[in-house]
Amino acid sequence: MQAAKKEEIFPKDPNKTYSLMAIVDGDSFQVEKGPEDTVQSWPHLMVRELGLFLLVLAVILGVSLLFNAPLEEAANPQHSTNPAKAPWYFVGIQELVSYSALLGGIVTPALIVVSLLLLPYLDRNPKGTGVWFSRDRRVATILFTIFVVAMVILILIGQFLRGPNWHLYLPWSN
Amino acid sequence: MSESAYSIKESIMQLPRNIKASISRRGEGTAEQERAAAVFGNMFLHVHPVRVHVNSLRAGYTFGLGLISFYLFLILVASGLLLMFYYTPSTELAYRNMKDLEYVVTFGVILRNVHRWSAHAMVAFVFLHMCRVFYTGSYKAPREFNWVIGVFLLLVTLFLSFTGYLLPWDQLAFWAVTVGSNIASYMPVLGDYVRFLMLGGNEVGQMALLRFYVLHVVALPLLAATLLGVHFWRIRKDGGLSRPSND
Ligand code: HEM
Repeated sequence: MQAAKKEEIFPKDPNKTYSLMAIVDGDSFQVEKGPEDTVQSWPHLMVRELGLFLLVLAVILGVSLLFNAPLEEAANPQHSTNPAKAPWYFVGIQELVSYSALLGGIVTPALIVVSLLLLPYLDRNPKGTGVWFSRDRRVATILFTIFVVAMVILILIGQFLRGPNWHLYLPWSN
Repeated sequence: MSESAYSIKESIMQLPRNIKASISRRGEGTAEQERAAAVFGNMFLHVHPVRVHVNSLRAGYTFGLGLISFYLFLILVASGLLLMFYYTPSTELAYRNMKDLEYVVTFGVILRNVHRWSAHAMVAFVFLHMCRVFYTGSYKAPREFNWVIGVFLLLVTLFLSFTGYLLPWDQLAFWAVTVGSNIASYMPVLGDYVRFLMLGGNEVGQMALLRFYVLHVVALPLLAATLLGVHFWRIRKDGGLSRPSND
């Protein structure tokens, strides 16, 4: 019904180079609401964008006032820290390396990157775009969640449960 | 304006308006035209369409995660530029520069904190943004290639963070990068060459510091900015943000 109404108001005639867009009271056509549910970027989108920027800046400044970035002793190549840990985002891979250097350090990261790159070309099921956790793509959702949870668990183990010589230890046992 | 009408007095009186018009490239219009022109007449804003679909504005749809990643990138560029005034990529000086930032430079600690925490946050938010894009199925046609660009942005973000990690030249930095670059050497056949290329030697030292520095302040930021330009351009070419098909 809506579509039929659209046709009436906005008739399409290939021979016409002009058309009647709308008749409304106001200073221009499409005041505030276009036929396709669109709104002016300025101010609707940009005011939000600006607000979000101020929020991000405020949070970063707040955190920076409260917590200092770590700075340990000067680097000493003769004296290694034990354990020596990679930055947190690579500590999951480091955890995998402790099981197998080749599989964990090279093969798995390479597989992850290649799978991510190929993903949109393999999953071509057109359904379920535009909504969170669509029912139409339950398998994809479950598989990706397993990947995310595995990454998080590996990072948590590497970051908090590994002590000297990469032995398991509990953070509260000192 | 005809030549006879020209008068210097007139020009001076109209100075503010003429300057404004020369910057905005237009005269005045109706309120609605002004709003549209505010977007497409401005180089920094014209990445936006003049109108957007209401779905793109739903905070619960994107959670602003991509935007937050971008803002963190901007904050990193600004704070990083300031840090460069105080930093020397030398194994002799780098650590002392850090101490100076902490104790000597006015607001130096804050500057360093802002850069450090934004860097960590950016890695996290880019990952969360990727999760959002996945769970909303936003990588499907016609957005496949923008997802690919995104994967490269994720990698660049990780490398930016990793190369920056070495620069303070403290124990944390030194051994983290030693561990990280050792992982690369586990690659069959090429491993040791890759690490040598990365570090400019077999161990983390002056050459590695210089390489990481150049990558961190020039090569990777330029690459990231370029990819971001393509990423944003593609969002528009792909028809704006994804949304349910039945609207
Ligand atoms: C430096 C990192 C990145 C930045 C600054 C960034 C920025 C953005 C922004 C601002 C948007 C608009 C929507 C939103 O805010 O969510 C967006 C959309 C998008 N991003 Fe990213 N992005 C980054 C990394 C990634 C990654 C890692 C991926 C995926 C692997 C990705 C894939 C996409 C896709 C497919 C869209 C379109 C989404 C849609 O149409 O709903 N981006 N990005």
